[in-house]
Amino acid sequence: MIDYPNCEIIRVEHLSKSFGDHQVLKDVDFVVNKGDVTCIIGSSGSGKSTLLRCINLFETPSGGQIFYHGQDVAHKKDPDLYRRNVGMVFQSFNLFNNYNVLSNCTLGLRKVLKMKKAEANERALHYLKIVGMDAYQKAKPKQLSGGQKQRVAIARALSMHPEVILFDEPTSALDPEMVGEVLSVMQDLAKSGLTMIVVTHEMNFAKNVANRVVFMDDGVILEEGTPKQIFENPKEPRTREFLGL
Amino acid sequence: MFETIGIIIKDYYKWILEGVGYTMLVALIGTLVGLGIGILIGVFRTMPTPKNKFLKVLKKIADVILSAYVEVFRCTPMMVQAMVIFWGFALLNDGQTLNVTVSALIIVSINTGAYMAEIVRGGIISIDQGQFEAAHAIGMSHSKTMFYVVIPQALRNILPSVSNEFVINIKDTSVLNVIGFAELFFQAKTIVKINYETFATYLLVAAIYFVLTYSITLLLRFIERKMDGKKNYKVLGSQNMDAESYAIEMGGNKND
Repeated sequence: MIDYPNCEIIRVEHLSKSFGDHQVLKDVDFVVNKGDVTCIIGSSGSGKSTLLRCINLFETPSGGQIFYHGQDVAHKKDPDLYRRNVGMVFQSFNLFNNYNVLSNCTLGLRKVLKMKKAEANERALHYLKIVGMDAYQKAKPKQLSGGQKQRVAIARALSMHPEVILFDEPTSALDPEMVGEVLSVMQDLAKSGLTMIVVTHEMNFAKNVANRVVFMDDGVILEEGTPKQIFENPKEPRTREFLGL
Repeated sequence: MFETIGIIIKDYYKWILEGVGYTMLVALIGTLVGLGIGILIGVFRTMPTPKNKFLKVLKKIADVILSAYVEVFRCTPMMVQAMVIFWGFALLNDGQTLNVTVSALIIVSINTGAYMAEIVRGGIISIDQGQFEAAHAIGMSHSKTMFYVVIPQALRNILPSVSNEFVINIKDTSVLNVIGFAELFFQAKTIVKINYETFATYLLVAAIYFVLTYSITLLLRFIERKMDGKKNYKVLGSQNMDAESYAIEMGGNKND
């Protein structure tokens, strides 16, 4: 892996998004550099998930631009090529119900990246091992617990070798024990240098693992900085209120 | 009574078997082709609206034509459709009628297709939006998403409805006697004209229909269970890579 320090991967400029009359994102600017672990925090309805979904082009922005290595992707007709490089992990796991664990991880490799079966299996197994789910490769999603599903979903995203992985509240649907197992996998990934954007309500994860924390409120980025700045010495009163300081 | 039925079977078993053969042939092929039509229409109608203006208009027009097809065939009896298609073809070809078996196959297929279109559409929209998103997130196009992720799940979900259509078709092919198609009911009518044993003949035919549909029902339920796969799975020996060795392998430790 070649490491460019501070190499910019994604730049969001003046992003806005409305659903009908309701404006969810208002003029958001946001940069993701290589190796960044960015946690986006804020109350429900503040636009965190929408921002993440805009970055992955699940939502078409109402205004503004999204640059991927300097190229505007926001209004691309065909986002599939771009999406190969941007992984996503969902709150509700969204494993493919009609495939077993291994096939969940190899489907993209085989059908999108056109890899040979043996090669795809090998790569998928490597990542299943990393998340500790290789023993369950033959299981169907409905046979797994929530935490196991989420770990498989992380392996599925990793298998594609994306440049950045977006995590949309990956632990919100899990019980406390499972939250632990998923967060520890994510922590390992962060250590390995993976670029991650994590929308989360896990303040300890943001505090200990992220190198950058973004606080969103009412559709704008109110404050951003290092975990130390945000958690110990936030400037905005609203941030203080949210963190209960 | 049972003697009479015995005699009917002995004397006419060849005709009856021929009728059963034709009935099953048309019901099976009609259901499968109908399902094919249904999948095509269902997939087309659940396609995202194209951004291109011209394509958008084209899709609108196709949508209108397809819903006209679905509604016309769902809202008229198959017996009438059979007559209209069979004699309509003859009228357009100077009185030359289409082969009866071919007509029967066409009629049952397009009739079933109209019902299947709605069944498949229902099956597709019942699939959780998250399945689409997860597929898009790994870079799959809409068509790949449909083909590898959505349609297999939708087909599993609609299998009971498809089985239902098949059973209905086994029974409903009987209306094709109006165009002289030699299915089971038509054969019974012919037999009655010769032996005048009206009740015994039709009772026998009723029993045969029941055996056909009920055994097909059981078979399809068995297939459904097979499709769901095993309830258990094997946990293979795990050799987990622990977190630290992974971090070292990947060469990064930026947060330390």
